[in-house]
Amino acid sequence: MEQFASLKRSKDGQPVRYLMVDDSVFARKNLARIVETFGGQVAGEAGDGMTAITEYDRTNPDIVLMDITMPQMEGIEAAEKIVAQHPEARIVMVSSVGYQENIVAALQRGARHFVQKPVKPEVLYEVIKYVLGEDGAVAHAAGAGA
Amino acid sequence: MTQFSDERGAEMRELFFETAQELLQSLNEEALKLERNPADAELVRSIRRIVHTIKGDAAACGFRELSNAAHELEDALTLESASSHGSQAEVAFTAADTFGAMLAAYRRKGKLPSSAPLAKMIRELAQQPKGKKRSKKATRAPVAPAAWTEYEKLAIQNAVSRGKNVYHITTGIDPHCAMPIAARQLVLNGLAPSAEVLGARPEAGSPASTQRLELLVASERSADQLTALCRIPTVISSVVVEPVGAAEPKAKKAATPEPAGNAASPAPSQHAPSPESGEELAGVARPSHTPMLAENILRVDAERIDNVLNLVGELIIGRSMLQQAFTEFARHVPKEILRGRFSDAMAFQSRVLSDLQRSVMKIRMVPVEQLFRRFPRMVRDVAKQVGKEVGLVMSGQETDLDKSLLDVIAEPMTHLVRNAVSHGIESAEERVRNGKPARGTIHLTSYHHGNQVIVEITDDGAGIDVQKVKAKALEKGLLTSEEADRLGETEILALVFRPGFSTAEEITEISGRGVGLDVVQTVLHRLKGSVDIETRVGQSTTFRLKLPLTLAIIKALLFRVERRLYAVPLNAVAEIARARESDVHQVQNYEVLQLRDRVLPLVRLGCAPGSDEKAGSGKIFVLVISMGERKLGLIVDRLEGEEELVIKALDDQTVATDLISGASILGDGRVVLIVNLPAIVDRHSKFRPEQGDSMVSGILLSHADRKNLREAPAEARL
Repeated sequence: MEQFASLKRSKDGQPVRYLMVDDSVFARKNLARIVETFGGQVAGEAGDGMTAITEYDRTNPDIVLMDITMPQMEGIEAAEKIVAQHPEARIVMVSSVGYQENIVAALQRGARHFVQKPVKPEVLYEVIKYVLGEDGAVAHAAGAGA
Repeated sequence: MTQFSDERGAEMRELFFETAQELLQSLNEEALKLERNPADAELVRSIRRIVHTIKGDAAACGFRELSNAAHELEDALTLESASSHGSQAEVAFTAADTFGAMLAAYRRKGKLPSSAPLAKMIRELAQQPKGKKRSKKATRAPVAPAAWTEYEKLAIQNAVSRGKNVYHITTGIDPHCAMPIAARQLVLNGLAPSAEVLGARPEAGSPASTQRLELLVASERSADQLTALCRIPTVISSVVVEPVGAAEPKAKKAATPEPAGNAASPAPSQHAPSPESGEELAGVARPSHTPMLAENILRVDAERIDNVLNLVGELIIGRSMLQQAFTEFARHVPKEILRGRFSDAMAFQSRVLSDLQRSVMKIRMVPVEQLFRRFPRMVRDVAKQVGKEVGLVMSGQETDLDKSLLDVIAEPMTHLVRNAVSHGIESAEERVRNGKPARGTIHLTSYHHGNQVIVEITDDGAGIDVQKVKAKALEKGLLTSEEADRLGETEILALVFRPGFSTAEEITEISGRGVGLDVVQTVLHRLKGSVDIETRVGQSTTFRLKLPLTLAIIKALLFRVERRLYAVPLNAVAEIARARESDVHQVQNYEVLQLRDRVLPLVRLGCAPGSDEKAGSGKIFVLVISMGERKLGLIVDRLEGEEELVIKALDDQTVATDLISGASILGDGRVVLIVNLPAIVDRHSKFRPEQGDSMVSGILLSHADRKNLREAPAEARL
């Protein structure tokens, strides 16, 4: 596994907390393993948009990784609803190439960024760093991943 | 597959295989629904979602072929999601099969099956008329730096007059970014709060727009600040911001492409980092949260659970040991004060142990749905093959069953369902002729009944003609004519489970049953379950599978026959009757007992008392066993009580008779043999009185054993 310099929250030096939203357990696990190598923590998981909204309220994560296609409520709608409630929400859409227009729609509705499936850790790392902006800090001293 | 080390990779792949199986199952289910409602766009979307997930997961595992095939299918489904055809369902079925075969090949690292037939179907699907038109503006997309229109020039002047700086921003889109349109949107989003976009080139959707984006913006920010805003990692590889007729002195700022992946380098500051804002943020109170619940579901090798269950079994034996030792202890020192404390502690331990046992067993339980869900597709396929209309109704899917049982009955169930479709249900014409709906129905249901799980397969077909079965059995020599007269309907129906009762061709004539039914029965008996048939000619047939909740631990009734200790599952015992030898009557060489208003056939497990013994006055116990519809009395010498037994399987070398199905160890170390009731019932039903009475009497012990036993001292342990 590649090693990354740990990304921490700049305000308290705590791990960045993620909410994973994807109807595939596999995809969630996969993302979880990747963000753990960034020193991140999984705050919650959701298998559909509905749950994503309640999980967001419950866990108040730093980053949401949101799949586009899901049963019950699609990622776009969920992203829109979350952003409406929490304008500060950092939602990164995760999707395959075929859904570009949906990504655009999601970005127009408040998603912050997107990554393409299959997710490349180094790409996701850059995206997260960007999306966190000054709320994120790279921990130089500690070994990556913790 | 480069993302994970080998060990992790293997783990992820295993997870993938499991989830993929579930996805394929859902794919089948949705395709079935789509076949029924071809116009339902929501179903097409749902199928696409499933295929999409398979694609993504497969790609993450590095299974490129599968991912590509799924990708093509997903695209094809996209094209005509509104005006769908029945063929979509067909493609989905083929896809489920092909993907399944590919998964199997990946799993055993074998050669991949050809996906050519699927690819062909997908192509055909994709070629169906579609209204998708590519943007025609492609040709006029400018390659040279954008020339702004009159209107845009006006906007520039307007902005300048308002005191804004106007910039011409050229961003190169990262060639690795596969979603340039989204990238474009991201840039626009990034600029939106601090800049007004006056114009954009090339137009969205044109081929050139996948490489770069030129913007005309008005802003109060400096060129450097705008450059930072546009420099979005992973999507934008270069940014050039040039002032257009504004007062900003800095002419050019070219940003070097940022090396993606060089993660160790500190992030370039997007904005000038201000310490105040950092503090402000830190000061904002956020509610604290309990640290993460990462994954609630654990996938564990079944073997590990079996190990735990085995240990629990040993503990249960240990508990009996302790209890017996305590009883003895209490007898020795009745006045000991510590007795009460011991007894309390043991009661507590015993309660916890029971809970533990229940909890472990619960881990092994899975809903029958896991088994049922394969049938809709199968019924559809078989029905199509034989050209019938058959619907499937399922209920009780949530009933829990031991996983190991579930796996074992999958095969016989498949067999029975297949039979029901191909032989049980009549052809549409015949059904209509008989005043039934043309579409046949198969009903699968499952429920708990006492300590058993019942699974029923019912078809509303022609039923089984008992007379024909009887005739067939006579012809095959499985039955003598007197027996045929004597046997009840249930017994005759049970004949179809006899090996060699019939072969496929022959059975089709007699209402179409019996193909391999002996196998079904063998499996059920091995599981200490049973199968019986209920049929009404012209109306329906039900095959009822009865299964124990679990294989590992049974509540048993212990008894002695000829000084040896045996046990039967308590749930098979309907009643215990006391009788005297004089109450046992002989009817046609069968021993029977008049029990209230019915005559109970008897099986004598031990040897009949010789005339020299206290014949006629000896007390006996009769265990009334109910197996399906049949009741049978077992004559035993003495009852020993109830006990929870942890069954240890016996191999063939240990026991020479099929009448014993297993053994267990009691707390005091005694071995108890578990009587295989189905085999005894079977033996009884095959018994021919005219061949002498040796079979029903004293069947458990051979003559040699019995002789040894007589010579052994009376206080033998067994």
